[in-house]
Amino acid sequence: MPISEAHVGRSYPATPPYEVTGPKIAEFAAALGDADNPAYQGTDAIAPPTFAVVLAGAAWSSLFGDPELGLSLARTVHVDQRFDWTRPLRRGDEVTAQLRIEKVRVRGGAAFITIAVDLTTTAGEPVAVASSTLLHQEVAQ
Amino acid sequence: MSAQLSLGQVLPGFTAQLSRADLVRYAGASGDFNPIHWSESAAAALGLPTVIAHGMLTMGLALRVVTEVTGDPGAVTGYYVRFTKPVPVPEEGAQVHFSGVVTEISEGIAKVSIQAMLADQAVLGAAVAEVRVD
Repeated sequence: MPISEAHVGRSYPATPPYEVTGPKIAEFAAALGDADNPAYQGTDAIAPPTFAVVLAGAAWSSLFGDPELGLSLARTVHVDQRFDWTRPLRRGDEVTAQLRIEKVRVRGGAAFITIAVDLTTTAGEPVAVASSTLLHQEVAQ
Repeated sequence: MSAQLSLGQVLPGFTAQLSRADLVRYAGASGDFNPIHWSESAAAALGLPTVIAHGMLTMGLALRVVTEVTGDPGAVTGYYVRFTKPVPVPEEGAQVHFSGVVTEISEGIAKVSIQAMLADQAVLGAAVAEVRVD
């Protein structure tokens, strides 16, 4: 059965804890052309805001790995993205990411899927929510 | 620490010169190894003219419009973009121009509307960052 409205509310186990390290922050900042920003340096470095995608992306694999949904990353378009931060991710944070399906709208062979990924420290502190709309195309019959 | 922004303030932004190496670097840093960002044949299979930049790379670059003025990336509390057009990155690279304007300040949060232009085409839609201000 392909993805449908019936899957709204489904959530997946949280990812294993991911440690936000100084070198990983530096690597991500450099990839955004922002390596010289002092906020991203030193022992009290924070991560660039969109670093949250590193963690959210790890949780996406639970969605695409769910055999009941029959989703393929190659047939998926990222329509939009929202982040809400409670606080910045910081060097030394250990964070898990948990994905849930918020909304599904099926139109013909296409499904609009809204997902939300909660980023939470291993101490239980909520850090950010990464919400995405994905457009998935079924294989033509 | 909170940022200094005023209503109607224009954030001049910058032009990003994107090369293939930048896409590979972002793939490694983000963990997004979708081949449409580095393989001509994978891009062609989806009807794209050439490899395209990660939408999340464009989104991340665009936020620098805000953080380069405020100086504090930690003051960003929310950020939304719609990916309206792909950013093709041929061998010779691509230039995307980013800019912004402060459209609202309410209850200690400034909203900055961000533009991302590839030549005369907007590649992000409805892009708004929310930033804590004094």
